[in-house]
Amino acid sequence: MSASVVKLSAEGVGKSFVGTGGRVIQAVRDVSFAVHENEFCVLLGPSGCGKSTVLRMIAGLEDPTTGVLRLDGHEILRPDRERGMVFQSYTSFDWLTVGQNVEYGMKLNRVPVAERRERAAHFIDLVKLTRFRDAYPKQLSGGMKQRVAIARTLANSPSLLLMDEPFGALDAETRWNMQELMVSIMDSTQTTVVMVTHDIEEALFLGDRIVFISRHPGTVLEDMTTDFKGGTRVRRKEDMLTVPGYAEMERHIMRLMREQGAEHEDEG
Amino acid sequence: MKNPETESRRWRWFDYRKPIPSHVAVGLGVAGWLIFFCAWIVSDLSGMVSELLVPPPQKVVAALVELIAEQGFLGDIAVSIYRVVVSFAAACALAVPLGIVMGAFKSVESFFNPFVSAWRYLPAPSFIPILLMWFGTGDAPKLALLFIGVVFFLITLVMDHTRGVRLELIETSLTLGGNRWQVLWTVVVPAVLPNVVVAMRQMLAVSWTYLVIAEIVASTNGIGAMMMRAKRFLHTDQIIAGILVIGILGLLFDYLFRVVHRLLFPYIEENAR
Ligand SMILES: Nc1ncnc2c1ncn2[C@@H]1O[C@H](COP(=O)(O)OP(=O)(O)OP(=O)(O)O)[C@@H](O)[C@H]1O
Ligand SMILES: [Mg+2]
Repeated sequence: MSASVVKLSAEGVGKSFVGTGGRVIQAVRDVSFAVHENEFCVLLGPSGCGKSTVLRMIAGLEDPTTGVLRLDGHEILRPDRERGMVFQSYTSFDWLTVGQNVEYGMKLNRVPVAERRERAAHFIDLVKLTRFRDAYPKQLSGGMKQRVAIARTLANSPSLLLMDEPFGALDAETRWNMQELMVSIMDSTQTTVVMVTHDIEEALFLGDRIVFISRHPGTVLEDMTTDFKGGTRVRRKEDMLTVPGYAEMERHIMRLMREQGAEHEDEG
Repeated sequence: MKNPETESRRWRWFDYRKPIPSHVAVGLGVAGWLIFFCAWIVSDLSGMVSELLVPPPQKVVAALVELIAEQGFLGDIAVSIYRVVVSFAAACALAVPLGIVMGAFKSVESFFNPFVSAWRYLPAPSFIPILLMWFGTGDAPKLALLFIGVVFFLITLVMDHTRGVRLELIETSLTLGGNRWQVLWTVVVPAVLPNVVVAMRQMLAVSWTYLVIAEIVASTNGIGAMMMRAKRFLHTDQIIAGILVIGILGLLFDYLFRVVHRLLFPYIEENAR
């Protein structure tokens, strides 16, 4: 998409968990890929292939068993504000209003009150929740809660935004709105994004780069760039369907998905 | 939240966990008590039970008035309340912070939990003889008994509730730059606090139970002691008046906790309380 300054790199990353009864489960093995500055990278793959595990390691919430992850060349060792994460489940703090939720991260990092207010107002406006600034999360719908989480993370100005199936629990129409919202956010902020999804359309619509992870134990099967979009982001979802090359790429990924899924069934 | 416009519109008696209009709820609560008192009066009028063993309600009320007017019963009540409040406050001061830290950090849990669990299974009243030997006959052994009876259960309850705080909330804070201390104070504590207040409400009831045991076994003042004195003179009406007062006090404290809960945590859905 832009000048190829590597922002995030995974070098031979593997992760094993010790399951019940001391059995070792290898979630991912030898995952390597690079994400460039201002790029929107999508991790795609069948269920259980280790997408969340990779994302959690990038966040610093899990340590890799092998290999290294680097952000701006520095090894990732623990969670910090540089890598903000939006989870699939709702994570709004029930005891804080929408405004306080969005200010939360900045408050942790001792951003002066005036600046905090201003930035929070800006991002609440960006996710179109200004009317609900003083409402508690219990008064919000699922999609609105997720927008609070996104605004809260963005307002904290992370240099890398991580999202684990952030729109998975939403209905189709809300999901489109959120995806289009993400496109406009990408246009107006300078962030690099790594997002996990298993929705192919979503991956094609949002992604500049799509890293396809194979079935369990996950490893990078294919590392693609969505060149068919010609370096610009499509702003409306339905417009994407007519972009030349879209159908071809979707078909390619669907075949990958089907292959991986089928192997999975054989195994079970 | 209560909404007078929709509240009394359409409701059924047996809908799972649906709220019912508040006047119906209050009516039901009062009805329960009315039926109880009616049964009591009827059994007395019918002569099925001896008036000495089960005095009618009006005699009990008269006894209560007399106790208060002539035998300084208010002083006994004050002593009992004082014992409950002081020992319960001390138990909370230890149990709440410890329970939270145990629930938050596995290392702290591993250190304290085997100890706490064992003590939880020792019936507190079994300590009465030794407490009397250690602390004599003043307030101290009663306070100690109430403390022992409550503190270990409360630690466990608070710990379990703290373990129940969703990991995603903690991780969200970590990825926003929160350090250990900040996560504890800005996520774990506020997330668990409503449940802590509920646990305190439940344990306060237990505290009253131990209070009466302590006062019946070894005390010269307090509600329980009054009841033991009354037994010596076969004043069943006074004994029942004592039970009545304990019941009313329990109800009052329970109500107080509910009000505090509502005031402290306005952001919680009414249904989830
Ligand atoms: N904490 C853990 N302990 C043990 N095994 C785990 C743990 N976390 C993940 N795993 C295992 O690692 C594998 C990958 O899990 P992960 O959640 O990363 O998959 P995923 O690609 O995100 O799946 P989905 O699309 O269903 O969310 C699974 O087999 C899972 O059982
Ligand atoms: Mg996942």
